[in-house]
Amino acid sequence: MNDIAVYEADLATKRVRRRWSAWEVWGVALLVPYVLVFLLFVIYPVAYGFWLARDPQAYVALFEDPIFVRAVFNTLVFILVGVNLKMMIALLLSGFFVHERLWIRWLSVLFILPWAVPSIPTILSLRFMLNPEWGLVNQLIFRLTAEDGPNWLNDPSLGLTFAILVHIWKSLPFWTLVLVSGRLAISRDLYEAAAVDGAGRIQQFRFITWPSMSTLYITCLLLSMIWTLGDFNSVYLLTGGGPADLTHVLATLGIRYLRLDAVNLSMATIVSAMPIVLPLVYFMMKRLSR
Amino acid sequence: MAEVEIREVRKSFGRLEVLHGVSIGIQDGEFVILVGPSGCGKSTLLRMVAGLEDITRGEIRIGTRVVNDMPPKERDIAMVFQNYALYPHMTVAENMAFSMRLRRARQAEIDTRVKRAAEILGLSALLDRHPRELSGGQRQRVAMGRAIVRDPQVFLFDEPLSNLDAKLRVAMRAEIKELHQRLGTTTIYVTHDQVEAMTMADRIVVMRDGVVEQMGAPLELYDQPDNIFVAGFIGSPAMNLLAGQVEADGFRTEGGLKLPIERVPAGWIGRRALYGVRPEHIELRDDGVPVEVLVVEPTGSETLIMVRNGAAQLGCLFRSRILPQPGETIRIAPNPALVHLFDAETERRLVH
Amino acid sequence: MTRRRLQAVANEAKLLLIGIPVLLWTLLPIYHLFLFAISPKQSAFSGNLWPEEPTLRNFEIVLSQQHYFLTHFWQQLGNSILIAVATGVITLFIATTAAFAISRLRARGGRLVMNLALFTYFIPAAFLAVPMYRTMGLYGLLNSRWALILAMVTVASPYAIWVLKQASDKLPYELDEAAIVDGASPMQLFRLVYLPLMMPSLVAVGTYALLLAWNEYLYAFLLLSRDTDITLPVALGNFLAADDSPWELLMTTGFIYALPPAAIYYAFRRYMVAGLTAGAVKS
Repeated sequence: MNDIAVYEADLATKRVRRRWSAWEVWGVALLVPYVLVFLLFVIYPVAYGFWLARDPQAYVALFEDPIFVRAVFNTLVFILVGVNLKMMIALLLSGFFVHERLWIRWLSVLFILPWAVPSIPTILSLRFMLNPEWGLVNQLIFRLTAEDGPNWLNDPSLGLTFAILVHIWKSLPFWTLVLVSGRLAISRDLYEAAAVDGAGRIQQFRFITWPSMSTLYITCLLLSMIWTLGDFNSVYLLTGGGPADLTHVLATLGIRYLRLDAVNLSMATIVSAMPIVLPLVYFMMKRLSR
Repeated sequence: MAEVEIREVRKSFGRLEVLHGVSIGIQDGEFVILVGPSGCGKSTLLRMVAGLEDITRGEIRIGTRVVNDMPPKERDIAMVFQNYALYPHMTVAENMAFSMRLRRARQAEIDTRVKRAAEILGLSALLDRHPRELSGGQRQRVAMGRAIVRDPQVFLFDEPLSNLDAKLRVAMRAEIKELHQRLGTTTIYVTHDQVEAMTMADRIVVMRDGVVEQMGAPLELYDQPDNIFVAGFIGSPAMNLLAGQVEADGFRTEGGLKLPIERVPAGWIGRRALYGVRPEHIELRDDGVPVEVLVVEPTGSETLIMVRNGAAQLGCLFRSRILPQPGETIRIAPNPALVHLFDAETERRLVH
Repeated sequence: MTRRRLQAVANEAKLLLIGIPVLLWTLLPIYHLFLFAISPKQSAFSGNLWPEEPTLRNFEIVLSQQHYFLTHFWQQLGNSILIAVATGVITLFIATTAAFAISRLRARGGRLVMNLALFTYFIPAAFLAVPMYRTMGLYGLLNSRWALILAMVTVASPYAIWVLKQASDKLPYELDEAAIVDGASPMQLFRLVYLPLMMPSLVAVGTYALLLAWNEYLYAFLLLSRDTDITLPVALGNFLAADDSPWELLMTTGFIYALPPAAIYYAFRRYMVAGLTAGAVKS
């Protein structure tokens, strides 16, 4: 009997429209604009891209290129270390931002700025801050220690580290906000009940916050990993892939090959990122299209 | 105004048939209530009349026109939804005028009609408000106003009162009934609340699992339920039903309790049956059967007492104010003239 | 002071201990940008935290296009505006119609289209950039502002559809039925009932697409190259290639460029935060 009730509600609207073509016709007609965009600017380019990357020789050349190997390594560091670090900070900060204080509300308003403003000015600003001679950082170091600071971006590991920091700076606010909304969705009663039961802060986190947020957190983590794979700006605008092309990630490497007029290598780079991208996308699709 | 003829209507969702051939004839100006537990198909049937569900088989006629293949707007019906379905971004007046606006009616005519409907429902002062600024009862009235403005041949109500609190529901019940008496428009009304059905309907259709169990005037269903489902569904508190067998001098329950019947139905002596008596048809009598008091629920105007004899439990409703203690023994007797007997197997009423 | 009060103070102190570093971390690069913008060229590199003689000279140079790097400043700003607005409008159109068809009309194939859109949403845009660049070449759109607009619409619409579909699934379906009984045609339902009710989400989605296009660097620099076609971020990027980059002007231009999105974001914050973060991940 219950089934019927559910059916009644679920099929309600669908049933009506089956009969009159006007509703069906419009339904399909209104999908046409997006389908056109999808066919022309997603399907065709992707198919064309795969066709460009069809030559096995390109992969051989690619895998023999030390820059590619380094880029794969960098990409993995970026998404495994960088994203996890970022999400953990976001989780902790979300706990900070749920406190009800006027000044915290104002801070959260400012906190969103890195996400809202364009990448290029702020990253250039950071880049100049790290300039070995005139940058703010080394100037301060010189004043304090009377010694020259390091040439930050000229060291591949430091360069990559700073690229990761730039990435965190840029996207931390967004994820913190998402997690804040997750935290706000947890009923206060639960915390009060736990406090009455004698749970301390850490226990409250372990037994209430984390169980309620773990799904959201994992979803965010995966989604952030996918997007970080495509983070071109943080690396390209900060280090440009240098020094000696040692800080490239896959997203920038594809563009590098393109600029070197090696389209097949460029596409091959992107295709070789697919083993990382597709499983993540598959997970996300399963999560979201329920 | 028009009559509505529902003939052998069936409805399937995929392979699941939810209405198994329902036929109801509704007269011009009649107030008919479809009642039954959730999932019985009453809402689906109403939506088929409205044109929101298509008709798998059978035929629905409004006035002289078969409407099976007609879109809702051509059926000349108006519908009031359970959650009111008011357009949140429109004022009360705009909500009520919307259907006429879609039909490109003249502004003057729209204004007159909206004004008239607002007067009927006492909404004149609220015409410029938005739905979110209205109370539940007011929203309900706007939803009705939207229907009245159209001056349709048939009003359809889909559980319109179930979102209101108990007190408001009673008031709105009277209001809808009064409205119907005033406008005289044919009305089909769906509810799961038998009290609503009893108090408002000219005729009630009791449905269960996609079939009509019984159709008739409220008191007809109350006095002569066709089967134990209707017997149990209509009337509150519900009818007591006791299993046992018919004997020459009365009815003996499985627990051995002897209860009176006015006339033993022919050929039924010794056969298994169900003995039905409404709580309000039980009297206190010194020569009655002794029972143990379980719970006493005084409401002021009447007293409901749950009693027990062996395994058999009974509810008794007394107009008099008596307050026995739980555990005490009282003596009760059903009024034999108002007792119902049902076949234990077919669950149908035994004619007597 | 009672113990309780002491604890409250300690609590506040702990919060401040988090809040202050967060504030510094957030604002430092932006402040640095601002610092450069108001510093005269000589003192910009001094490492001071506030210039000795703050000046608006840099703004003057930028806005009056006095430096040879900036000869097309207004043109390029105009390009940015044009492309951002066009992307916002076209994305809104495409996403609203699609979301209405999928969610309210339950169009045949709607689910498939939704899944395709979601799939696109998850593919990092940077990976689509190279094939997109080649395809635009084939379509003959390279170096046309349309190329960037269409590319940005492609990138923005999946998420826009997703957010709008989520929002419109929340509208009670009885509203549609009431409208149908009232005699509404599909387009009347769309225009008179659906659009007004979706306004908050439409604002959020339109702004999202607009800001996405405004802030975009990679696609802009791949698809556009003529000085009169490019958007301001690309022009800023071109500074980098030069040896004698006028950093203080670069920063000033960047600062100017960062103002509109910040302003738009704050104007629509109410819609944006709820609309976009909620849509990002359905938990």
